[in-house]
Amino acid sequence: MAQDKEQLFRYLSDAVVEMEEDKTVAISNSIIEENIDAYEAIEKGLSDGMNRAGQLYEEEEYFIPELLICADAMYAGLDILKLHLKVKGAGTKNKVVIGVVEGDTHDIGKNLVRIMLETSGFEVFDLGRDIPPRDFVEKAKEVGAKIILLSTLMTTTMEGMKEVLSILKKENLRDQIKVMVGGGPISKGFADRIGADGYAANASDAAKLALQLVAGGVA
Amino acid sequence: MLQDKMTPLERMTAYNKGEPIDRLPCNPNIANGAARVIGCKISEFKGNGKLIAKAQIGAYRKFGYDGVRIFTDLYVQAEAMGAKVYYPVDDTANLETPPINDVSEIDKLQPADPYKDGHLPAHLEAAKILIEEVGQEVSCSGGIVGPFTNAFFLIGIEKMTKLIIKNPQAVHKLCEVSLETCIRYADAYIKIGLTPTISEPMSSTTMISPKQFREFSLPYLKRLIDFIHLKGKGVTLHICGKTENIWVDMVAAGANCLSIDNVASLSKCKNKVGDQVRIMGNVDPSGVMYDGTIEDVRNATIECVKQAYDNPKGYIICSGCSLPINTPFANIQAMMDTAREIGYPVNIDELW
Repeated sequence: MAQDKEQLFRYLSDAVVEMEEDKTVAISNSIIEENIDAYEAIEKGLSDGMNRAGQLYEEEEYFIPELLICADAMYAGLDILKLHLKVKGAGTKNKVVIGVVEGDTHDIGKNLVRIMLETSGFEVFDLGRDIPPRDFVEKAKEVGAKIILLSTLMTTTMEGMKEVLSILKKENLRDQIKVMVGGGPISKGFADRIGADGYAANASDAAKLALQLVAGGVA
Repeated sequence: MLQDKMTPLERMTAYNKGEPIDRLPCNPNIANGAARVIGCKISEFKGNGKLIAKAQIGAYRKFGYDGVRIFTDLYVQAEAMGAKVYYPVDDTANLETPPINDVSEIDKLQPADPYKDGHLPAHLEAAKILIEEVGQEVSCSGGIVGPFTNAFFLIGIEKMTKLIIKNPQAVHKLCEVSLETCIRYADAYIKIGLTPTISEPMSSTTMISPKQFREFSLPYLKRLIDFIHLKGKGVTLHICGKTENIWVDMVAAGANCLSIDNVASLSKCKNKVGDQVRIMGNVDPSGVMYDGTIEDVRNATIECVKQAYDNPKGYIICSGCSLPINTPFANIQAMMDTAREIGYPVNIDELW
């Protein structure tokens, strides 16, 4: 039985990597029918598959189209499995708030980062696009987020990132909430200059950095 | 301050023939930032050919760079095919809603008529003014969004991205109707006397694989470039982001000049395809031009020249992409001044 379970997780992971949405749904259903722990199936099946897809993206085997289809498969499986999560799994995840800063409506990059964050075990509150600085802070306070992630493609909206940091400072929240920035015109230099905690050039690096930041924050 | 001794057109003509020139051609690549030069809001460009021309001519006269281009945003062709475009008061436009939402509607799409649809007539009006006022002294071009990229805006970016895997046939149909718009638009520009330049950002291997580029973008790009060649014009092709693994294909598409992003390497590009195409690039438009100091701009410009000045088919100093609209004038001026300071022939040992 234990071996069967591990094997099913492997199949589930493979189905995500291979962009097989129908198969992902079918395996997710059999996991429920066989009373296998949904949380474990998400971790070792769906998330594992998405992580492998992210790895293939880094290795330039996969590109954005593949990544989006893998994510569709993952979410289709997640829709089934999450209904069967036992309560104990919930509430232990690290929470983060993400969005595209005010004045900008380009959100493909932000969506990819969200996917990779969810894959890495974060509970993600996605505010969407064109979001005023104040809203990021309010949402982070409301849900107890450890990180705010800000994205923009436009140089004209980079100032909004600074504003989020200064609101956090004003409210004495800067020590509790980390800030990550990313997007086309953003560089490590810009991130350092505005005093952000981190910058990542792509979605999988962003997820890794977020994990490091929360690990550091606990210690 | 150093002054140019040739007009941009004299310089380019001489450079093409291998005759003496006063400095390398240099194009900082101001797009909507031209609005800052004449003090108007970017949304005022919408449908206003006279103002677009006034801004581009004003910016050219201020800095004296080597190419003037009519280009406002990536969505004018899609808009002329029915897309809704969002125009912020003083920022570059963005796609709001594509003309169709589902593959079943592809047959409803019609190629745009550049003399009638959307804001294309205004762009053509700007083109006419450009040719009349500065056509004798500087090369004038009309920006065209490539067929593959424009196809994304017809059905929505995320949908199109997924169709590449899920429904290749639909992607081809979208590219086909998109190409027809591109060809008509290019034809209209050429009839006025401009040279079309092609922007194909979605073809970047930051987005899609080289294999997907060859299957979905290259065939249409090549047909567009073939058409432009047939009309007697050369083509500059700009693809943002990573492109190293498709340089050979960009050349195979027929491009006469590759404009590359700052994430790509000028020296590698020179070594790989420089015997077949001219190269332009690639000072970082954001980190250096927008956010850097005058000294940063000078250093980055010199670094680019060092890498590519000896490209067999020629080199044009340029930014890696269109400049952010609020790029300081001082930095744009610094790129031009550095080009003038370096002069020609380039003495590599004297550059520091």
